[in-house]
Amino acid sequence: MKEKITIPIGPQHPLLKEPLSLLIDISGEKVLGGNIRLGYVHRGIEKLAQTRNYVQNVHLIERVCGICSHVHTTTFCYAVEKLLGIETPERAQYIRALMCELERIHSHLLWLGILAKHIGLDTIFMHTWHDREMVLDIMEELSGGRVSHAVNKIGGVRIDLDADHGPMVARTLSTLREKIDALWEIIMHEPTIKARTLGVAPLSIEDIIKFGVVGPVARASGVDIDFRRDDPLPPYDRLDFSVVTHSEGDAWARTIVRVEEIQQSMKLCDQILQNIPAGPIDVRTSRKVPAGEVVVRAEAPRGELFYYLRSDGTEYPARLKIRTPSLTALSILPKQLAAIQVADIPVVVAGVDLCIACADR
Amino acid sequence: MLSKSLFYLIVFPGILFQVLCGWVFEWLDRKLLARFQRRVGPRWFQPLADWIKLFGKENILPKGSNAFVLTLLPIISLCSVLTAGIYIPVARFSLFSFEGDLIVILFLLSVPTLAYYLAGIASIGVYSVLGGGRSILQFFSYEVPLLLALSGPAILAESWSIQKIMRSQVSMGPYILFQPLGFILAVVGLIGKLKRDPLDIPKAKSEVVAGSLTEFTGIRLAFWHLVMDIQAVLGIFLIINLFLSWSNTIQPWLSAMIFIFECLLMILILSGTSAVFARLRIDQLAGLGWKILVPLAILQLIVVILMGI
Repeated sequence: MKEKITIPIGPQHPLLKEPLSLLIDISGEKVLGGNIRLGYVHRGIEKLAQTRNYVQNVHLIERVCGICSHVHTTTFCYAVEKLLGIETPERAQYIRALMCELERIHSHLLWLGILAKHIGLDTIFMHTWHDREMVLDIMEELSGGRVSHAVNKIGGVRIDLDADHGPMVARTLSTLREKIDALWEIIMHEPTIKARTLGVAPLSIEDIIKFGVVGPVARASGVDIDFRRDDPLPPYDRLDFSVVTHSEGDAWARTIVRVEEIQQSMKLCDQILQNIPAGPIDVRTSRKVPAGEVVVRAEAPRGELFYYLRSDGTEYPARLKIRTPSLTALSILPKQLAAIQVADIPVVVAGVDLCIACADR
Repeated sequence: MLSKSLFYLIVFPGILFQVLCGWVFEWLDRKLLARFQRRVGPRWFQPLADWIKLFGKENILPKGSNAFVLTLLPIISLCSVLTAGIYIPVARFSLFSFEGDLIVILFLLSVPTLAYYLAGIASIGVYSVLGGGRSILQFFSYEVPLLLALSGPAILAESWSIQKIMRSQVSMGPYILFQPLGFILAVVGLIGKLKRDPLDIPKAKSEVVAGSLTEFTGIRLAFWHLVMDIQAVLGIFLIINLFLSWSNTIQPWLSAMIFIFECLLMILILSGTSAVFARLRIDQLAGLGWKILVPLAILQLIVVILMGI
């Protein structure tokens, strides 16, 4: 088994939850290199957006991603509101941020489960996904939707928090906090988890900067960026949280960063619930958007989300460009798929937390 | 006389008993694992239902593979495990016993592993070849400590017959008391032999899909599953006989109850370990096997030999 063989991972493979094709050259148990083919879930959303008006586009943008759908619409709505020159009501900003943080918790828990599944620890997978249900239940209670929440609209939000909602969310999150703490103990003390993730495919700061990688992957390598702090959308400049960074840059550091970010997000949720002001949740806007162009950046669960929007003064956007964090993670994947073992492929692929639907759009 | 041997071959301890035990053990294992993972788990007839379902599936073979070989391999494996099963005592019933049957059983039980490797190579697909290569690497890692661990009781009893080993435990007490280390090593070896999590390296889903069995479908796959199930049963029986045998003088029903209880305990150990550990890499397994398990097994053997003197 010394000759080079190419194993196809995907478009359909137990390792992948979304279609992506990795062609990996191996020799025995050693990985020599890999190639990526993309585009299996390309839906042409950027072009579609030009044929729909702004109100319809909110619903279209929600379909970019199946996990972080809310942060996409939030970014889009802030972009449109910036062009319209209106101030989003403060209560709406807080509700948007609350959903963003809940989404981050559920995205990271989902990711943790998938990593555990890939290293053959199905118990952690089942438990994290069970705990994730709590977050999904909160989101369903608040918005009526577990995955696509349809919370945002241009000029505000569609849902308001009742008097009971605050205590309910706080109660569920405190239960979740206990579960996360227990999970933390397991991750820190289970030797086989460390054996599979420690020192696997480390990325240096230089690599991260060269490839423009963002989000938890960059923070695990010691790059201190978080757009909730560096270029905050409204409520985040009034909230107190810390940016989690680690220096090792391997799969282990990525795990730790994400679990710590869950804890930070829960802290943020509590603050939002305590500080949420009373008042209106939306303002009326015109359907036509003044001509101009705007860039809005937000911190999605996987990193920097970039929206460029150009309007020509009609009801339809002239150009919408979405750059998702998964695209940068994909760019560094071939580099990571070298000089590792076949058994590390799942850890590497899971470690960068790909969202193929986001990347293909 | 003929009818009696037919009964032994087909009903007890032959095909029917082993197959039934295989399904019951598989169900218990899946149910326990599900409960560890906060799931409900399958109904009691699920292994049987899975087996019947596979019979209704299409029999697909990869282009260019040898149909004869791929059909023969599961049959040979099944025959060898069923043959081994006849010689393994159940509770205290030992029908066919001769000096050296332990060695014959260990040989017969390693046939499926080799067939599994060949199945991977013969079914051509890249994942199968990779899984087959891994299975043979794993074989070299666990088999030596397993054999060393299982030879401990034989040396202590000064016999390679399972029945004599069991009989000598009547006077001395179960061998687990003298060789706790040997028992643990035997369980680890068994996990490796059965390719169970955390040593399911040859069939790691996220790495090599289903390993050697990736290209198998329908009846052939059904027979492979049966082989794995019966192998688990026999491995558990063997370890219980060698390490956990209690008095032969008590009532038959009582010794049967103890035997069933010990089986449940072994299943609990096996599903417990698969629930709490992550899968090892093949190099980590080789390191574990040769740097930790083999020295420990040799240490245990030295202790046993010193005890014998």
